[in-house]
Amino acid sequence: MSIMEYNGGSVIAMVGKGCVAIGSDLRLGNQALTVATNFEKVFPVTDRIYLGMSGLATDVATLREQFRFRVNMYQIKEERDIEPEAFAHLVSSTLYERRFGPYFIEPVIGGLWKTQGGEYKPYIAAADLIGCLNFAKDFVVAGTASEKLFGVAEGLWEPDLEPEDLFETISQTLMNGVDRDAYSGWGAIIHIVTPDKVVTRTLKGRMD
Amino acid sequence: MNPMNTAAQPQQRQFNPYTENGGTILAIAGVDFSVIAGDTRQSEGYNIQTRYAPKVFRLTDRAVLAVNGFAADGNMFVKKVKQRLEWYRHAHAKDMPLHAIARLIQTMLYGRRFFPYYVYNILGGIEDDGSGAVYSFDPVGSYERETCRAAGAAQSLVQPFLDNQIYFKNQQPAPGTAHPAHLPLPHVLSLVIDSFTGATERHIEVGDGLEIYVVLAKGRDLSGLEGFAGLQEVSSRSDGERIFVIRRELKKD
Amino acid sequence: MFLTRSEYDRGVNTFSPEGRLFQVEYAIEAIKLGSTTVGVRTPEGVVLGVEKRVQSPLLESSSIEKIMEIDTHLGCAMSGLTADARTMIDHARVTAQNHAFTYNERIKIESATQAVCDLALRFGESVHDEEAMMSRPFGVALLIAGIDELGPQLFHTDPSGTFMKYEAKAIGSGSEAAQSELQDKWHKQMTLREAQVLTLRVLKQVMEEKLDHHNVQLAQVVPGKGFEILDEVKLKELVDEM
Repeated sequence: MSIMEYNGGSVIAMVGKGCVAIGSDLRLGNQALTVATNFEKVFPVTDRIYLGMSGLATDVATLREQFRFRVNMYQIKEERDIEPEAFAHLVSSTLYERRFGPYFIEPVIGGLWKTQGGEYKPYIAAADLIGCLNFAKDFVVAGTASEKLFGVAEGLWEPDLEPEDLFETISQTLMNGVDRDAYSGWGAIIHIVTPDKVVTRTLKGRMD
Repeated sequence: MNPMNTAAQPQQRQFNPYTENGGTILAIAGVDFSVIAGDTRQSEGYNIQTRYAPKVFRLTDRAVLAVNGFAADGNMFVKKVKQRLEWYRHAHAKDMPLHAIARLIQTMLYGRRFFPYYVYNILGGIEDDGSGAVYSFDPVGSYERETCRAAGAAQSLVQPFLDNQIYFKNQQPAPGTAHPAHLPLPHVLSLVIDSFTGATERHIEVGDGLEIYVVLAKGRDLSGLEGFAGLQEVSSRSDGERIFVIRRELKKD
Repeated sequence: MFLTRSEYDRGVNTFSPEGRLFQVEYAIEAIKLGSTTVGVRTPEGVVLGVEKRVQSPLLESSSIEKIMEIDTHLGCAMSGLTADARTMIDHARVTAQNHAFTYNERIKIESATQAVCDLALRFGESVHDEEAMMSRPFGVALLIAGIDELGPQLFHTDPSGTFMKYEAKAIGSGSEAAQSELQDKWHKQMTLREAQVLTLRVLKQVMEEKLDHHNVQLAQVVPGKGFEILDEVKLKELVDEM
C-alpha cells in the first residue's frame, strides 16, 4: 500500500477569468477507516495565494507550518507579499531539499499575481512529491482521486469562466471526482480567489 | 558464480498468459436508442501495436458488444458469442433478444471462472420492448443493466464525468422539475465525443480513432444522426432496428 | 410378409426392404392402446384433456397423472406407456430450465418440443460393444401445449421423433372418433370456455365409463397465469355445465 494513499484526500485548482479556484475534500482516513470529516487540505498563504496539499496527513500539517514560517521570513526580509510564482519555487525547493527522503505530499497552488499594469492574473501550479513543478494553464489536480478529477475536469472546464461559473465547475469536478474514490470525499471546501475578495464555501456531499 | 554450477541452483520460470492492451469503451442508453463506443488504439506497455483495432462489434441488428482488456481474449470471446448467436438462430428460428444475450454472456464468462477471459464487456442495444439498454459485465460474469457505463484504461476518467452528465449526480434540479432519465441522441453523441477527447488528452493508452455504434429502435427516425460526418449504416435490413457507425479521428500522440 | 417381418422387426436401427422401421411402427401402435387425450388451441389459450381409466374402485384416481407441467408457460398431456413419458418430460423440464438459466427467457414451445423429439430419436444410438442408452423407442405420444411470443400453440409428438403443430388433436384409443369430432366442432375464434367444453364433450363421446370429475383431467395454458391443471372444483363446474 502506497504511503501517498495512507490518509487519502484530493485537491484541485482551476483558472478562471481574472480569478482562480482551489479546493479539497474533507476526509481524513487511516487506510479504509474514516477518522475525520473536517480535514481541510487547502491553506491561505497570502491574501491572494492558497496552497493545497494531498498525501500523508502528518506531512501536510508539517509542511503547512514550514511554509508559513518561510513565507513569513520572506515577507519580513522582502517587506512585501510573496508572488505566486516565487511561492511555487519556494515549494519546489523545499520539497527538493528532501530529494532522497521526501515529504509524502503533492502540492497544488492557486493564486493571483499583479502585472506591471496593476491588474491581477490567475496563476496555478502543482508539483510532485519532490518538487517538480507543473505550470498548467487550465487546471491542476492531486491526490487519491487525481485520475477521476483529470477526467471530469477535462470534460467540464472551459477558458475564461467568471468566478461564479468557475465555482460551479470546480465544485462539480471535485464532488463527482471524489464520489468515485473511496479514499476521498465526505464533503469539500472551495476557495474562489478574486482581486478584491476570497469567497470560501463548504460543500456537503455524499457521506459514504 | 561458476557457470558450470548454474544447474545446481533452483530456478523459477513463469508464463503469464495475460496482457493488458489498453483502450477504453463506453455505452449510453437512450429511450429508443443505444450508443456504444470505443477507441481503436491497441497498445502493449508503452508500445502502440496498431492504431486501428476495433473493440466494438455488431452482434445482431439490435445488439452491439464492446470488449476491453486483453485483446486476444476479447476477440476470441466475441467470436464465441457470435457462434452461440448463430446456433441459437438455428435452434429457435429468431435472433437472440438483448436480455438473453446479456445472460448468455454471463454464463459464458462464468464458465471460465477459474481461467477467465481477461475482458470487461459492455453490451448495448435495443430490448424487446423497444427501449435502449446497456449491460455491463466484469470478467467473470457479474452483470447489471444500466443507463451508462465506461470501462477500460480511462474508466476512472470517464465514469465520474458520465455520473455528472448522465445521472446528474451532485446536481439539483430546478424547483418543480426533475432530471431527465434519458438524454436525446445529439446530446449523448456529444458527451461520448467529449469523453473520448478528454480521455485521449490525459491517458496515453487512449487515442488514434473513435468508433461510435448507434442502434436505433424499430421505427425510430434518424433525427440526431443526419448530417453526421463519417456516418455509415451497417444494419442488415431497413424495416427493423437499425445500426449505424460513426468513425472519427482522435489525437495520435 | 410374415417372414420379412420376423427378420426386420427386431432391431431398432435396421430398415426393412420396404423402408420401414417396424419397432417404431409398433411403438406408434402402442399409443392406440392408451387412454384418449385431447388438445384444443384457441386464441385465448390451449386446453388439454385426458381420460383417466380407473380400472378398480380401489384405485385412487388422483394418483393417475397424465398431464404434467414442463415450465410455467407450457405443459403436456400423454397417451401410451406413461412411464416413458416421465423420461421425456424430465428431459423437457431440464431443457426449459437450462434455457431460462442461459438466456433469461422462456423457451419457445417449438424448441421444447424439438428437444423432446431429439430425445425420442436416441433409441438408435447404440455404439458397438457399449451398453445402449435406450433399448427401444418410447411408447408414448405427447400433446405439448404452451404460450410463447408466437401465441398459444399445440404440438403433437410421436415415437418416431416427428412433431407437428395442431389446432386440435386427439391421441390414444378413442382418437379416431375424437379427431373427427374435433374437426367438426373446432373453429378459429373459439373461446377458452368453448374449448374446455368441447374437450370434455369429445372425451365423453369416446369414453366407456360415464364422464365425471374423477375420471377426466383438464389443464390449460393461458396468457398471464400460464400452465395450470384444473382442480376438481373447477372441473366439476365444467362437467355440470356440459
